[in-house]
Amino acid sequence: MKTFMPLINSYWYLFRGAGMTLMMAGTAVIPATLLGLLIAIAQIFGGRVSRSAIVTYLFVVRGIPLLVLLTFVYYLLPLTGIDLPPFWGVVLVLSVYYAAFMSEVFRAGILSLPRAQWDAAKSLGMTRHQMLQIVIFPQALRLAAPPFVSLCANLVKATSLVSIVGLWELTMASREVVERTLAPFQIFLAAAVLYFCICYSIAAYGKYLERRILVGH
Amino acid sequence: MLFDPNFIARLIPALLEGAEVTVELAVLTFLICLVWGLPVALMQAMRGPVAWIAGSYVQIVRNTPLLIQMYLIYFGLSMVGVPLSGFASGLLALCLQNGGYVAEIYRGGLQAVSARQYEAGRALGMRPWTLYTSVILPQMVARVIPPLTNQAISITKDTSQVAAIAVMDVMKISQVWVESSANTYDVFLGVALIYLTLTTIVSLVGRFAEQRLAFAA
Amino acid sequence: MGNTLNDVSLSATDSLATAPLGVNARPMLEMSGIAKSFGTNQVLRGVSLTVAKGEAVVVIGPSGSGKTTLLRCINMLEDYEQGTVSVDGEPVGYALDRAGKRLRMGERDIAAAREKIGIVFQSYNLFPHMTVLKNITAAPIRVKGVPRAKAEVRARDLLAMVGLSEKENAYPVNLSGGQQQRVAIARALAMDPKIMLFDEVTSALDPELVGEVLAAMQQLARDGMTMIVVTHEMSFARDVADRIVFMDGGVIVEEGAPDQLFFAPRTDRVRQFLKRYNDRYRI
Repeated sequence: MKTFMPLINSYWYLFRGAGMTLMMAGTAVIPATLLGLLIAIAQIFGGRVSRSAIVTYLFVVRGIPLLVLLTFVYYLLPLTGIDLPPFWGVVLVLSVYYAAFMSEVFRAGILSLPRAQWDAAKSLGMTRHQMLQIVIFPQALRLAAPPFVSLCANLVKATSLVSIVGLWELTMASREVVERTLAPFQIFLAAAVLYFCICYSIAAYGKYLERRILVGH
Repeated sequence: MLFDPNFIARLIPALLEGAEVTVELAVLTFLICLVWGLPVALMQAMRGPVAWIAGSYVQIVRNTPLLIQMYLIYFGLSMVGVPLSGFASGLLALCLQNGGYVAEIYRGGLQAVSARQYEAGRALGMRPWTLYTSVILPQMVARVIPPLTNQAISITKDTSQVAAIAVMDVMKISQVWVESSANTYDVFLGVALIYLTLTTIVSLVGRFAEQRLAFAA
Repeated sequence: MGNTLNDVSLSATDSLATAPLGVNARPMLEMSGIAKSFGTNQVLRGVSLTVAKGEAVVVIGPSGSGKTTLLRCINMLEDYEQGTVSVDGEPVGYALDRAGKRLRMGERDIAAAREKIGIVFQSYNLFPHMTVLKNITAAPIRVKGVPRAKAEVRARDLLAMVGLSEKENAYPVNLSGGQQQRVAIARALAMDPKIMLFDEVTSALDPELVGEVLAAMQQLARDGMTMIVVTHEMSFARDVADRIVFMDGGVIVEEGAPDQLFFAPRTDRVRQFLKRYNDRYRI
């Protein structure tokens, strides 16, 4: 019983941290998704300039750790004179970073549609806009749903890194509790369980979607 | 001051020293995961409690943040009497987590081999060992190289998180230099270039392996 | 009666009208009382079939009649609930103990029994990561322990037999369906099976490629290979079979020599089937 005293005294603090983690991931996922979609469309249909700009962006973002970007936005933003609250700075980095991976998921969804679908839409006299809206997106987004959901779970895990640059969420909360209670094993285990509950639920939802889509086909 | 030559001359050797630790961690993690993922994947393909244990392991490591796993091992294990160095803790956490991902990659590769291939092998009187070593695994290898390359890139980037448990990798060294100097831009550029170089090398090696190991398809 | 089968030569009828089982010859294949269900769907309802050494038996019948399942039960690619199979006098999937109780054989023994049974699938199922030659030699070398050089000599002989000598270093993906299927036949033969099973091997092929595969099978039958062929190719059945077995609803409805079955079927079910077949293919 004594082993778990630190946990009993601090569980509410950890729950609040988990709430902050969810809020951070939930806020970042919206711009990340929109930006990701935009990038996917621009990469498939855009001109040469926008495409090479995107390729460069993808190359840089996928080649550099998120932690590097977070750390340097944390140090660089004050230098640029932009007065952005840390929360929004972090949301900005997370969105820009995850948009790259989101765009891959959407692009794969769009490109994996059989050619026959495009041909059928064209043969019905649809404009490109109509084709995308009526035929392509509804199917592509369905295909992209399962990997999209697992990216969301990934994003939740990634928010733990913001604790390294001093923002408060579940990981930071657990570190604070550990410093107070000197019980790292119990507290970090509890934090891991909280993360697991969040991510596993999200992933399970993705599995459910995947099964439903497979049945649909 | 941006691009201070004296500063850069002192910075580069320091960063390269850190890069050595990063490369060591990444290579060790990848090689260990390459081996460790296979029994996990094969266990998942079995039935009964063995599959359940392997499946739970994969779910647990995939749905909790690497950073929390590192804290749990670095701070938690030393509390219960198993002190590990930062490097060892980081390596262990990296292997545990990425081993789960690599197992999933192997599992996907195994599932992608058609049931008819198993059947054709069995119809020729092959026993499981021969069936797997001469028919199934060679086909799996060709399929898993692209996702394994992505995983290797992800591992390279993930190693940056050992900075949080006081390992002097390139990330940690850059943090130290940023805090002790005003040349944030230089440090950022240096660190970004190092990670970009490493991840580019990984993806080139992956592409080479893909070309060599893909059978005429 | 349908026109398409009228031009068949009747000269062989007398010798084949009775089962060609010699009095003393041990049958090459003996199946008795095979019953098999997928869930609640009973696919085989007690099928018994005996095939003599060197005999070519062609199984015909409507789709869903259990023909393919029957073949797959012979080498235990499908497990079955009742009945036993033996090849050349030795049990394949289940052995009977002294009290006559069915005992499932160990995986090792089943694998060993499968060496004696060659099967060719509708979808070829070649190993895509191996060259044609490797496809043929892999099992002899790894399963039977045949020395590589010897296995390759034999493989080249077989390739010559199916007319693909120049393709030994090609990969399956670069072959036509007909060529892949001929390699599959050679691969099965390389194990020196005592019996060959053909499961609708021409159904996935373009019409112009069917002939080359059937020709290889015909050659095999002429050379005295014991074989069971599930097919929809009626003229092949007529030309090559020593005996035709008609299956429907998981049982053997009628069996007999080709001329008897095609021209004087004893059951209405066969008559209907042939009529529908002829109506569809009459030009």
